[in-house]
Amino acid sequence: MSSPTGGDPRPEIHRTAQGDWVVVGRRCRACAEPVAYAWPRCPACAAAVEAAHFGPRGTVWSSTVVRIAVPGHTPPYSLAYVDLDDGPRVLAHVAGDEPAPIGRPAWLVGTSDAGDLQVEVDR
Amino acid sequence: MSASVAVAGVGTSHFGRQPERDLVALAWDAVREAFDDAGVEAVDAVWVGTVFAPAGVAQRVLRAMGITGVPIITVENACASGTTAFVEAHEAVRTGRYGRVLALGLEQMSTAFSGAITPETTDPEGRAGLAMPAMYAMSAARYLHSGAATAEQLAAVSVKNHAHAVHNPRAQYSGRYTVVEVLASRMIADPLTLLQCCPTSDGAAAAVLTAATGGAGEVVVRSAALRSGAPWNHRSPHVWGHDVVADTARDALTAAGLDAATDVDVVEVHDAFTIGEIVTTEALGLVPPGDGGKAAAGGVTALGGAHPVNPSGGLLSRGHPLGATGLAQLAEISWQLRGRCGARQVDGARLGLVETMGGGVSVLDGNSCVVTVLEAR
Repeated sequence: MSSPTGGDPRPEIHRTAQGDWVVVGRRCRACAEPVAYAWPRCPACAAAVEAAHFGPRGTVWSSTVVRIAVPGHTPPYSLAYVDLDDGPRVLAHVAGDEPAPIGRPAWLVGTSDAGDLQVEVDR
Repeated sequence: MSASVAVAGVGTSHFGRQPERDLVALAWDAVREAFDDAGVEAVDAVWVGTVFAPAGVAQRVLRAMGITGVPIITVENACASGTTAFVEAHEAVRTGRYGRVLALGLEQMSTAFSGAITPETTDPEGRAGLAMPAMYAMSAARYLHSGAATAEQLAAVSVKNHAHAVHNPRAQYSGRYTVVEVLASRMIADPLTLLQCCPTSDGAAAAVLTAATGGAGEVVVRSAALRSGAPWNHRSPHVWGHDVVADTARDALTAAGLDAATDVDVVEVHDAFTIGEIVTTEALGLVPPGDGGKAAAGGVTALGGAHPVNPSGGLLSRGHPLGATGLAQLAEISWQLRGRCGARQVDGARLGLVETMGGGVSVLDGNSCVVTVLEAR
């Protein structure tokens, strides 16, 4: 619980030739559910999945600023759930210590120093 | 053959930070009281719910009170572990697998965590620092953004449940707070302040289940439903946890032969954070969609209101020792239906409902949810 073990469970990201950051995930071949992870089956319907890239653009669904000590992270830190366009809802870190404005455009900008998905938000 | 199942006895420890008391002592408080209440000395099987206790804890605790040589099964379903133990114990009696079963929940949080539960690093969002207060804060922020609740209405849940707990001698915290005081307490995860978050708690709670005898005043289980969450994402119009609570509630109400949760006299729900109670009262159908905050602020869900919620003080005030919580909720409802709650008694309560919700696995709409309906005959 305290020290991370095994593989990193967080979404894998990739930089395209155009310089955009995208999440390397899966899309269900049956129900089109987008998934931010390289899982073997669709979590919604158990059908087969295929590789898919999501992002870099999305919309802030909600946000918060964590102001308590959490191992591996230094408070305060700003978190947002971002609905990637035609993609999954992903948890991302946002620079600064203000809540990201809900409903505003956001885009992936790589990972933070701690290895977390990072977004910038159009305030 | 299926039998009508009775909650023959319930018991709990005190709830609070009790690092000096081990799990044997906490569990014995709960089991002794439940056995005395049921008038039994032994059971045919035990289901134990716990989340963070070490491997073997169930047998280690139960041997100290002479419960050995019978089947003992440990279950983990996050915050719904205790009620999951109850659901399984109920099914074992209902189907005739065992005649008399103990459901026990226990947890000692104070020796494991100094504050919020450390997020699980093998979970993607846990690894990214999404502590439980932050998870619920996402829902609260969304409610504020959409106008479904105000900050003052969120705080009203804390004011109400702390006031209820004034009448519960086993509660960890109680007090007459104001909305202003709740909002002025230290920010934990915007917009949730300290007094809107459940405390770090140690405790145990237990219930003895048997076949119903048909005696007057007997508390019977009308239904017990359990679901684990489906994926939760942009496809749901609701915040996290709403849909699994609504689906599980529908299962439980249908099985109980009830039209709606509003038919129930008293309710204990999973208010680990203030927004949790607001979302849950809406998901249960106790109040119309979008009215959860208004109901808390307007006294609808207070003692004396049309639909009293968390007369015990809830998780916010009674405390939240994870594995024990569901059975503590069941103990409260059982006492309510037997008219034993003193100044926090809901007058004439005959039908009661318990809802527990466990989370922490990202992508899913909750690890598990339990809804059960009890009735005093």
